[in-house]
Amino acid sequence: MSLTFAISPFLIIAFGAMALMLSEAFAKRSNGLALGTTIVFAAAGAFAMAVWLYGLEDIEGLDTLTPWLVVDRFSLFFDVLLCLGGALAALLAGGYLPEHNLDRGEFYSLLLFSTFGAMMLAAAGDVLTLFIGLETMSIGAYALTAFRRASAKSAEGALKYFLLGSFAAALLLFGFALIYGATGHTDLVGIGAALKAGASKQPMVVIALVLILAGLAFKVSAVPFHMWTPDAYEGAPTPATTYMAVAVKSGAFAMMLRVLLTAFGDPSSMSWSAGWPPVLAWVAVLTMTVANLIAGRQESVKRMLAYSSIAHAGYILVAVVATMRSQTLAGASVLFYLLTYTVSTAGAFGALILCGRRGAEAVSYEDLSGIGRRHPAAALPFALFLVSLAGIPPTAGFFGKWFIFRAAMESGLTWLTIIAFINSVIGAYYYLRVLVYMYMREPAAGAPIAVPMRSGYVTAALLVSALLVLALGLSPTRSLDVAVQAASFGG
Amino acid sequence: MTGIANYVVLSGVLFAIGGIGFLVRRNVLVALMSIEIMLNAVNLLLVAFNRLHAGELTGQLFAFFIIAAEAAEVAVGLAIVLSLFRIKRTVRSDEADLLKN
Repeated sequence: MSLTFAISPFLIIAFGAMALMLSEAFAKRSNGLALGTTIVFAAAGAFAMAVWLYGLEDIEGLDTLTPWLVVDRFSLFFDVLLCLGGALAALLAGGYLPEHNLDRGEFYSLLLFSTFGAMMLAAAGDVLTLFIGLETMSIGAYALTAFRRASAKSAEGALKYFLLGSFAAALLLFGFALIYGATGHTDLVGIGAALKAGASKQPMVVIALVLILAGLAFKVSAVPFHMWTPDAYEGAPTPATTYMAVAVKSGAFAMMLRVLLTAFGDPSSMSWSAGWPPVLAWVAVLTMTVANLIAGRQESVKRMLAYSSIAHAGYILVAVVATMRSQTLAGASVLFYLLTYTVSTAGAFGALILCGRRGAEAVSYEDLSGIGRRHPAAALPFALFLVSLAGIPPTAGFFGKWFIFRAAMESGLTWLTIIAFINSVIGAYYYLRVLVYMYMREPAAGAPIAVPMRSGYVTAALLVSALLVLALGLSPTRSLDVAVQAASFGG
Repeated sequence: MTGIANYVVLSGVLFAIGGIGFLVRRNVLVALMSIEIMLNAVNLLLVAFNRLHAGELTGQLFAFFIIAAEAAEVAVGLAIVLSLFRIKRTVRSDEADLLKN
């Protein structure tokens, strides 16, 4: 089978984005663009699955792409995951943008180009392509955040996101440049080999590792580098928030796993006494605790979900730390968690979109009071996704957390597991608070009553996420098996 | 290789100036310039290290890619600054304070 087949997911997204951009320029109305975007995402995801099933061993010339682009099971898994996240965001945009008078077609091209960058990030085996992928993903995400041009909040959120994102990219680049100086390599495998051979003792490498960790922590929005996240998530139009919370975060975690395990996998960079694991362990503790405590105090549900996405990054970091002892098991729990997190978060934001309409976007807890009795069809999926985010069985979120805790325990990180468990109990408080407002409160007299919007696109997105949340929650073994295969990439 | 060490120190100093400028100054345009200084420090470092690892042009090539990608990034950044300025008539980041807990 030819090389074109192996990189077909990339080609489909790239050409699809260009075709949609052209058709948007010439068409009078942008009605079908959301559908077209979803189809492009679905096709790319399907081709990635086809490559997975066909097997990479029989594809000739795959090594001509390395190290620039590493097509392995890890990157194919992320292709499917990112296309799923992108497709859900596109479906939500199809309902949200016309409803809130933002119906401009460039949203969809930006979404596709940004996802292309995220996919490249997951497949990059060289610092150069990693940087290009990171910029492609981030530039699209900045523009999506600023999409509501007349809103000061949107511009402000985008500004903070842009400034801190560029700062983080500069930190990462300086770190990579130092590593290049110390080892003479920009490909991750070469860096890893040189560090194993003894280069990791140099002070330059230590400084580089600190800078790279700080840059990565910015990108996955870990405390203390999380300041941009709530503002960018709140200011952005909700489908863009969804995209940032699911796809951008997954892409950043893919980059983190690939860089840490491939380049910094030598004994002196990856051990419990030195290197990145102890640093990330403390970052994880801070991230979970701070995010959960602040999330409980929010008045806006959208902002609460932003802090909740930071807290989930903390849980995932626990599993990233655990990869130092067992790459396959802990790595698989990261991938599986990202999958459950993607469907639950996209569903929760989708349900929030569904609960509002033009001029009356539902954002605060008050907006949602009593909606469970008045509009059960809108409240029920919301409840399901929140229960999944809280990690209560029989939903996907439960097994996501279960696998992470198990991987951390088996790596001997008992104290970290206990902190993560306590945090997930605290986290349940603010998810259930939404349920209390939806089902047990009545709106105050004279307060505006939220009326759900109607949109086939949003309904479709909610249906897909709800099915996946239940499917992953009822029979997680098969997906976990796939994640295990994906996580065992060569170091 | 004293020559290269000098470049590394210069690049470190530039990077620090840019970083401090970014963290201290509240004018968005100055913050953008500070990021550019940091990235130029990276470029300088890459080109200097390319002398150390002569034979391949990886470092120089990387610097070109950074220049190109940053041009694209700044284009989007300035558009965001413009859109904020149109609404709020300010380019100071401490006056953009609508979003809070």
